[in-house]
Amino acid sequence: MVKVQATRGAEAVRLSHGAGFYGSHAELVAQLEPLARAARDRGEPLVVGVRPITEQALRHLLGDAVELIPLAQPVGADPGSGQTVASRRALQLRKLTEGGTRPVTAITEHISRFDGPDGSFWTELDAAMNVALSELPVTLTCFFPDLPLHQRILDGARSNHEQLLVDGVLRSNSGYQAPRDVLADQPAAAPDVLGPPDVSLQFGAWELHEVRAQVQQALLDGGCQLNHAEDVVLAVNEVATNAVEHGESEAELYLWTGDELVCEVHDRGILSDPLPGLQAPHPSDPKGRGLWIARQLCDMLHIWSDAGGTHVRMRTTR
Amino acid sequence: MVRTIDEMTPVDHACAVADSDEHLWEVTAAWLAGGLAAGERVLYFEDETAAAVLGRLADDRVPVRQAIGSGQLLVMPTARTREILSGPAGDLERLLDGHVIEATTRGWPRLRLTGETACALSPSGSADRVMAFERATERVLRRHPATRLLCRYDRRRWNDQAIDEMRRMHDTELVSPAVYDDNLLRITRNGPSSARLAGEIDHSNRLRIRTLLETMLDQTLRSHSAPTDVVLDLSSLRFLDVAGAISAVHAAEEFPSTHRLRLVGVRPRVLRLLDRCGAPFAAQLVVEAHPEPGDPQPLADPALAVPEPVES
Repeated sequence: MVKVQATRGAEAVRLSHGAGFYGSHAELVAQLEPLARAARDRGEPLVVGVRPITEQALRHLLGDAVELIPLAQPVGADPGSGQTVASRRALQLRKLTEGGTRPVTAITEHISRFDGPDGSFWTELDAAMNVALSELPVTLTCFFPDLPLHQRILDGARSNHEQLLVDGVLRSNSGYQAPRDVLADQPAAAPDVLGPPDVSLQFGAWELHEVRAQVQQALLDGGCQLNHAEDVVLAVNEVATNAVEHGESEAELYLWTGDELVCEVHDRGILSDPLPGLQAPHPSDPKGRGLWIARQLCDMLHIWSDAGGTHVRMRTTR
Repeated sequence: MVRTIDEMTPVDHACAVADSDEHLWEVTAAWLAGGLAAGERVLYFEDETAAAVLGRLADDRVPVRQAIGSGQLLVMPTARTREILSGPAGDLERLLDGHVIEATTRGWPRLRLTGETACALSPSGSADRVMAFERATERVLRRHPATRLLCRYDRRRWNDQAIDEMRRMHDTELVSPAVYDDNLLRITRNGPSSARLAGEIDHSNRLRIRTLLETMLDQTLRSHSAPTDVVLDLSSLRFLDVAGAISAVHAAEEFPSTHRLRLVGVRPRVLRLLDRCGAPFAAQLVVEAHPEPGDPQPLADPALAVPEPVES
């Protein structure tokens, strides 16, 4: 007997990531409307990451019948971590695609208050989205102004999007670069420097239990729920394990305690994957799952590297 | 005379030499649980160790809260333990006499004792003071035959000569051999196809788990009488890292189709991780949650205060 097994379909399920540009708000809305209508006609959920004024305009044009699902936006004390936003969005979109089986349409708009000092947030965000969403059936179109404050926003947009929307048609973008290449030119930025830490600890591969004990104590002292504390301890353990597994044998842990727990792990190793832990690991692949789980368990997890080594900052409520 | 914990029937003055903290909790909990099961009054002198010992009792499914609630199990708080042990041996002798009489008056058939004596008794590392207290408690045991005492010695603290001397003071030694103990993780075998893990598994020791599982599977396959399940009791496993969880899931997937890996007594923390690491999709992996996982911080309980026995 021949057993016929359903596969995921012959057509590869993957992200379609395009960029569009506008000179005025009216031009932006005029380009968003047909994309939204097309999603409605295909019966796809419509996810929007736009300013309130744009959302109002869309609602006015589309009526109440079309649900606009808000896309996760930067929050918290380190809003400039594009990889954290991409990780949140991937989690949200993975659910909406029902584990990658249902197509979803997403549209976003450049919001200048997230630019940070130089606009590099957008380049990191879009590169990270390419990694985090690569295997999800999401049609994502990002809109940028023709003249943003920082030129690198446009440079990044032209590198990170496989398609460009020209006269309402998505065309292949000859300037597209793989996320690894984009990040080689513009690595993830270091977050704002914090003051002296409340706890600092040097540790090796045989002292990970010390790391866990310090983090758990800091969380429970702050009145954190036990389940949440245990999950965060696991996240920090995975990051700390990577530091002593891949990096040099000695690494450092810093903790800042307040309303939030901020935790940094520093090692002198080199980052082989510029944005690790963004893609859901394949079940048969034991590597990479630790960081992927850690990203799910923290409010913010930002990895960056420089001449001194690899650095990770994590934030969580206490 | 050497006996295993399981065979310690009529023991009056026993000792145990522990290799690690996990070993201490294991042997202490077994001694206390034996008393509770036999309907004896049980008195434990803690030294910032009640959380670990009561936690281990809960892991072992001993109804510890009920035992404290009914007054069967008394826990002497750290401050009082240290006060008694830093005073003259005669004070301890009088206190124990009082507790024996109080227990008998209340109708308990016997009083069973143990406690954390090492730190308070011998801060300087001298064995002489330990011996003086041993002789004092020996006198209590002689006066009151219905009393049982377990003295535990930490092997990391004493040299071989001191340990031998201490052993000679006792009629019985309780032993519980481990196949692995690195003071973070302790592995004991309780059958050809089953083992118990106590402590934490991380990058430093997770390869042991892989080796253990391979050995257990080989032994199970070679034995015709062995069951088809390889069982790991995780009741006292307080931490497992992601790579450790994945390695357990993979090990089960590589089992021959006739055999299964059963993880039993799994605590909520480890359970959540196994769920995140694909355990629900591994056909040959069975994960059973601990029915009543111990409160990790049972110390915050005012019921632990022990009333002083009335001087007679």
